[in-house]
Amino acid sequence: MLDLVIRNGLIVDGSGLPGRHGDVSIRGGKVVAVGGRAGDAHRVLDATGKVVAPGFIDPHTHYDAQLCFDPYAFPAIEHGVTTVVPGNCSLSLAPLRIDQRDAFSKMFRLIEEMPEAAFDAGVDWRWGEGFGGMLDTLAQDIALNVAPLVGHSVLRMFVMGADAQARAATADELAAMCDALRECLDAGAVGLSTSFVDIDETYRPVPSRWAGPEELDALSAVLGERDAILQIVHEFYDTELTIARIQQLSELSLRHGITTTLSPLFHSDANQRGVSRVMEAVEVARDRGAAVWPQVQTRPIDISFTLDQRSLMLLTMPAWWQVASIRDHADKIAAIADRRQALVDEMNSLAKRPNGGLGAGGFVVRDVVHDRNDDLIGRSIDDIARERGGSHGDTIVDLALDEDLGTWFIRANIGHDNSPVVGDLLAHPYVHVGASDGGAHVGSFSTFGDTGYLFSEFVRSTKSLSLEAAVKKITLDPAQIWKLPGRGLLAAGNAADVVVFDADTIGRGPEIASDDFPGEGVRWIRRQEGVDTVVVNGEITWTADDGYVPDARAGQIATR
Amino acid sequence: MGARQFVFPQAGDDLASIADRVLPDTEGASQQLLSWNLHLAARAGQGRGGLLPSDIVFTEPPQA
Repeated sequence: MLDLVIRNGLIVDGSGLPGRHGDVSIRGGKVVAVGGRAGDAHRVLDATGKVVAPGFIDPHTHYDAQLCFDPYAFPAIEHGVTTVVPGNCSLSLAPLRIDQRDAFSKMFRLIEEMPEAAFDAGVDWRWGEGFGGMLDTLAQDIALNVAPLVGHSVLRMFVMGADAQARAATADELAAMCDALRECLDAGAVGLSTSFVDIDETYRPVPSRWAGPEELDALSAVLGERDAILQIVHEFYDTELTIARIQQLSELSLRHGITTTLSPLFHSDANQRGVSRVMEAVEVARDRGAAVWPQVQTRPIDISFTLDQRSLMLLTMPAWWQVASIRDHADKIAAIADRRQALVDEMNSLAKRPNGGLGAGGFVVRDVVHDRNDDLIGRSIDDIARERGGSHGDTIVDLALDEDLGTWFIRANIGHDNSPVVGDLLAHPYVHVGASDGGAHVGSFSTFGDTGYLFSEFVRSTKSLSLEAAVKKITLDPAQIWKLPGRGLLAAGNAADVVVFDADTIGRGPEIASDDFPGEGVRWIRRQEGVDTVVVNGEITWTADDGYVPDARAGQIATR
Repeated sequence: MGARQFVFPQAGDDLASIADRVLPDTEGASQQLLSWNLHLAARAGQGRGGLLPSDIVFTEPPQA
């Protein structure tokens, strides 16, 4: 007797081969047969008219904190995601000493835009300090699979303490870092993440940026010993630097036999040749035999923000950043009044920057506090400023103050929004579909729904990829790149991670505000569209009819 | 496509010492190097410190 049969669906198995109709048989958390007619089962799902595919793998996430208080990584699973990679961009929750938690928390909350209240309430550090202990704790209560990276910045802090952000490592410290990395990899880390761009809350470069090339080389040698991956966040805003990093990764890959990935890679219409030059560099690396995978996200870039909290949008405006960092609300309001002209000038200066497309006139009122301002929703600041008189900066500040800083603004389609070009990029055989940033930047944009958008926009609309190619891009490809054994392909003996969806309707819902995180405040999420059922290691974890199954906890550490 | 030639800073390096090493006998080498590395010039202008060990320092001009 089988545990579960998914009957009569179009099986798109992740290989890229044409789909075929038949049943998928599951027992003991594994796929036991694919195709044909299955025998009796305790439970049968009718998938007639639906696609049956391997669960989707999201290789660039920051669910580290969220998984501590939300075993579903809501709402990732309902989009068909059954495996996630947290710990990207040099930041993981372990290994970390007790007296380093506060410094790390500030860094993580800033870089990944996680609200302080949510982080502090949700992350209880109950595992202690070590990476293995963290994974043991996580494994007891997760509904999806986790393949975690260990963060280079954290590794440096663990070994070097405060000097991690002050200098290069000594030979002894480097040896200790290599030993600590081996321990993390043996405990279940899928690889190492590092960052060449991030800063902490005091604008200091994160620890990984204080590591010279010899340190990264030594750590990469350890990755080579364990057949593990190196992830970097590179200077994605600069084509020349990106190409140089690809050369650096190429050398590391060839020298140590490792797979490397860099994220994110965006297309910008303002830099038409940028992405194609980067891909030419990737092709050169591949021709040499190096494994270098640029990660490309599916969704266009947009950013929402208020003037009440620090955000990506305010990061480039030092005066606003300083004001938004003030904790007491009344003090913040007073500071805006005191420094009003400087703040208005800074807002107006956005239009004069090289990327003048980010000018404040292009901001749109997304949501308001008072009913009397309802008619402003959906209107641009430029439009409102013309009606009311005054500069764009004055208009934004006046409206925000009128609403006690509760007004939401959005800048949509900042980049990566030329669908035919992005579609061609996603279809490139050397492009790794990822970079969702799942679980991060919660007040700036939704990181959920990128997989649905891959199908709605790039399979159905632009037709850049076939259904089968799109499925492969987010199943077998990441499973192979990240070396996740037994996942990403519907085949006998593999883990029964399965998503059932309607190829004609799968997509992403509208971006909506959600107050489900601990503490006050909202985050932006998208609910699924067109997904029918999600199975994790043989356990039905989410269905369109009944939502999340309350006790589903079949998630595993995917590297163990 | 290959990357522009670049180096990483060595211990104690600043742009002037790198310029002395990679552009010997070149008048105004330090300023020349800075002009090829505007990402570093921008950071210095923001008062955010000097070179980091992980920084890429291009040692030839941008490609046309």
